[in-house]
Amino acid sequence: MTLQFKSLTAMLAATTMLAGPVLAAGTHPETGEALSDNQTFTYRILDEHSSVDPGVAEDVSGAEVIRDLFEGLMNQDENGNLVPGVATGFTTNDEKNVYTFTLRPEAMWSNGTPVTAGDFVYAWRRAASPELASPYSWYLELMSIENAAAVIAGEMPTDALGVTAIDDHTLEVRLSASLPYFPLMTTHTTTFPVPQAVVEEFGAEWTRPDNIVSNGAYVLTEHVPQERSVRERNSMYWNNDATIIEKVVTLVINDDDTALTRWKAGELDRTEIPTGQYPSLSQEYSGEALSFPRLCNYYYTFNLSESGPEAFKDVRVRQALSYAVDRSIITEQVLQGGQIDAFTFTPGATANFTVPEVAFGVMSQDERNAAAVALLAEAGYGEGLEHGPLTFELVFNTSEAHAQIATVVAQMWKQTLGIDVVQANMEWQIFLEERGNQNFEMARGAWCGDYNEASTFLDLLNSASGYNDGQYNNPEVDALLAEAKTMADPSANYTRIEEILADEMPVIPVYHYAGNMMLNAGIQNWPINNVEQNWYSRNLYRVDN
Amino acid sequence: MITDQLLAKNFAEAEVAGRSLWMDARLRFMRNKAALFFLVVLVLIVLFTLLGPLIAVTDHETIDFSMIGQAEEKGQPSIANGHYFGYDDQGRDLYSRVIQGTWISILVGVIGATVAVVIGTLYGAIAGYFGGRVDSIMMRLVDILMAIPFMFVLILLLVAFERSITMLFVGIGMLSWLGMARIVRGQTISIKNKEFIEAAAASGVGSFTIIIRHIVPNLLGVVTVYATLLVPEMILTESFISFVGLGVQAPDTSLGQLINVGAGTLQYGTKWQLLFPLGFFVVLIFSLFFVGDGLRDALDPKDR
Amino acid sequence: MIMFIIRRLAVAIPTLLVLSVVTFFLMHAAPGGPFNSERPLPASVMANINAKYGLDQPLYHQLYTYLVGVVTEFDFGPSYKFKDRSVNDIIAQGFPVTLTYGFWSFIVATVVGGSLGVIAALKHNTFIDYFAVGISIGGQVLPNFVMAPLLVWLFTLTLHWLPGGGWNGGKIEYLIMPIIALSTSYMASISRLMRSSMLEVLNSNFIRTARAKGLPSHKIIFSHALKPALLPVVSYLGPAFVGMITGSVVIDTFFSTGGIGQAFVNSAFSRDYSVMMGITILVGTLTITFNMVVDILYAWIDPKVRL
Repeated sequence: MTLQFKSLTAMLAATTMLAGPVLAAGTHPETGEALSDNQTFTYRILDEHSSVDPGVAEDVSGAEVIRDLFEGLMNQDENGNLVPGVATGFTTNDEKNVYTFTLRPEAMWSNGTPVTAGDFVYAWRRAASPELASPYSWYLELMSIENAAAVIAGEMPTDALGVTAIDDHTLEVRLSASLPYFPLMTTHTTTFPVPQAVVEEFGAEWTRPDNIVSNGAYVLTEHVPQERSVRERNSMYWNNDATIIEKVVTLVINDDDTALTRWKAGELDRTEIPTGQYPSLSQEYSGEALSFPRLCNYYYTFNLSESGPEAFKDVRVRQALSYAVDRSIITEQVLQGGQIDAFTFTPGATANFTVPEVAFGVMSQDERNAAAVALLAEAGYGEGLEHGPLTFELVFNTSEAHAQIATVVAQMWKQTLGIDVVQANMEWQIFLEERGNQNFEMARGAWCGDYNEASTFLDLLNSASGYNDGQYNNPEVDALLAEAKTMADPSANYTRIEEILADEMPVIPVYHYAGNMMLNAGIQNWPINNVEQNWYSRNLYRVDN
Repeated sequence: MITDQLLAKNFAEAEVAGRSLWMDARLRFMRNKAALFFLVVLVLIVLFTLLGPLIAVTDHETIDFSMIGQAEEKGQPSIANGHYFGYDDQGRDLYSRVIQGTWISILVGVIGATVAVVIGTLYGAIAGYFGGRVDSIMMRLVDILMAIPFMFVLILLLVAFERSITMLFVGIGMLSWLGMARIVRGQTISIKNKEFIEAAAASGVGSFTIIIRHIVPNLLGVVTVYATLLVPEMILTESFISFVGLGVQAPDTSLGQLINVGAGTLQYGTKWQLLFPLGFFVVLIFSLFFVGDGLRDALDPKDR
Repeated sequence: MIMFIIRRLAVAIPTLLVLSVVTFFLMHAAPGGPFNSERPLPASVMANINAKYGLDQPLYHQLYTYLVGVVTEFDFGPSYKFKDRSVNDIIAQGFPVTLTYGFWSFIVATVVGGSLGVIAALKHNTFIDYFAVGISIGGQVLPNFVMAPLLVWLFTLTLHWLPGGGWNGGKIEYLIMPIIALSTSYMASISRLMRSSMLEVLNSNFIRTARAKGLPSHKIIFSHALKPALLPVVSYLGPAFVGMITGSVVIDTFFSTGGIGQAFVNSAFSRDYSVMMGITILVGTLTITFNMVVDILYAWIDPKVRL
């Protein structure tokens, strides 16, 4: 593709045009590239989404659709930075517990009515209400909105929630604690507005294509469950002139390999790359196989509670097991998708987080293996030693990728340390139950950040956290985490916590995610630098290729 | 006179060693060249699973770390390095894995088919012969068992008994007899109206004796054919059961799982990962077909 | 025969009831629930959800409410996983899909498989016999989860003849690959049962008599041999039908057709209780109906059979 740079004045003129005809086929206003006549983007998802109601949606595929259909207070740009959405900006007080958002007057719903602060108030109260029983209502509590917990529990009425419409275009939010990164959280779909009149008229069916009214760049025009959904340009959207993609089609294809075949046949523009296929695909389809860092980790957790094995209570055993894992084999040979070896729990891609150099991260694998052997012997596990040979069970949910990694890691432990590991795959629900009830010895885990800040990961290891399945308990870590909540720059605390984790090894970090996908070369401006992968179809455009 | 008596005595003695119907069947089977040939093939496969490991270069779970993810470039089958069937994507020897997988799958198939034949035939024959309310209750029970979501039964087995290979066979057995019962019942309904059954009943033969001695032998043709159809089905059902966590667990494998995994890698140039396990599966099915048909032909009293 | 149908329908009600109760308790006995996720929900949120769906009631109360809803209003409840759809919606959308491609697969499998079986039996132990059976076995040998991606690779990627998946209202080009993949699984069984049964019938006395009387071959086959030979094939249709519903999962997975098989299996994995119950009752009803039809067919085939 060739970029043609027009004169500076022409570019300025194009971007300052307020209400001009949208060029469907023509040239891109900023880069000047020739746009294709076909501005349809077709992508694949693995499973049907659970809902497109912002207050209720809980999965990634639903969130992708909602980000196109609706718009919240703030958005993210291609690099993950905060940019205005329905709100033009916000102000806050010194304690950072009251935020005031100014809404733009030109924001419209697709039926022509204006978007007001009252819509946000209604939506947030609705999301917290016990009647809706939204599985994501806890997010409002996470945002520290005043009285959120009480409203969710039904102890206070929904209008006690700390959000008020000062007037039609001013929204005030009161928090129960100081939260410097609060605005980051308004990019999440649970906080998006919903049209009160439509919801009250149609009830649970308000998201049907015939009924739905939305305020984003697109409206839902077709939805055949388990097969496809289609959204098309919303001409009432306040920034409609900047939208280039006319139509977005989502296809549900359950099998990774079939999806890839159909991508090759040209039926879709984007699909995931099956495990291990990235190198050959990036050679065969150069430029169309993408790999970029993601805000997720992958680890094995020890059961450190009462019901856990005795061996795991010894820190030397835990360190030995962690050292003996050759992460480079997993990332470079099994996954081969640009994943990153993990020696810390928090991924390096997290904003304002620099990966501290922990001791075992800088050793070579041979050094690590030698240290592991020594540690295990010192702890007394092995043939002829005090506690005898070590053996335990590793549980993970059934999936080829998890099984592959588990098999490889089990073999590493066997060949380096002489340990016998029983691999136990379980169906997802059973896996969640067993892990949640500490009914395991070692379990696989993974976590994706809710927002782009290290606490979203490290909070998991807080002893009070409901997600701390290994029941790791360290008061120093708890104290550091509590302190970090209100610090202007908490990175020192986060670094200290990671160092403690490397010493105590309550979990074995394995790798940090990389996003892998095949993207048709015609689709431009995919936000590969956005680690949360909050992408918006209105920022994409298509050129002929 | 004495020679006549002697001759008569000899004849009488010679006649006593008569031929039973089963021996007739065995002789007929032996004469069927195709059936014999594939019976030998089946035996060879079993022998292969037992003796194959002797010439394997590694066992089925050892990983060669340098080979992980390199299967397409360096993992081809070769006689030279001892990896006769090549490597799988995890850097393991496919030859050993196919041996281990075939063994489990043969067990699964045999046990599933046996349970189906024994339980399914008896159940179906009893229901079909007695008819009326007995038949109604028994068949409605089969309807219910067929409609129940099988996955929950598996999950409960897993929770109650922990994962084990035995539970896999229990799971397979529970599923396999249902179809057989229906087919046998259908045949029984037709057979029981025949004159020779009427005759037996009229001469006072007890119901169960009629079932075992007269009805079941006339069913054996259909039962044999259906049993050989069940075996591949059971082999494939096993991979579903293992998905739930009940059956064969990593690093062990089965033919169904190998085929599943191999099919996924088909478009990535590692065709041998599918072809070898699928090849064994195909040979198994064909062998069962010919042996099954040979048995059917042998057991059919009317076939010339 | 009317009496037979009435009697069967009368028995169907308690049968479905037993099926519902057993399935209900089986589902709830399995660990996990519809709202389990990687992040366990806080207690207050769980309390709200349980209250909304009535999951905080004792089990027998839930079962009772559910059955009343089904029987009086034909309302199978909301889906726990798909918040904007009810079970009725899911079944209304998915069942016609599965029925359409399932029905055609059945027809193809029966006609093709049956014909191959008859031909094989007539030319018993000749090359044609092995060839005919070889074709149908070829279909069974490739399990449908191997065949489906192969078909997509062949017809979509290489030849560009057919779309790779989707349903689009069931237009013919979306039907072809699912039908091929599904019918080949049954063709083998039908042809083998047909062949073995036909062989038995052809060797029986009344056929020998017909031949001796000089009747032409085609008349012997179609007027005399075919009907009794159909018996085991007809018996097989019942289990084949249930297998088709669960086997259609593979079709839905690989061809994105959105049928009921996939909804069935997904609801089991996500513990979507109401969808599971609804589809189980549907499958149970169909099984009972199908088996009743099969029994009526027995009477048609064999006049001595009393209904």
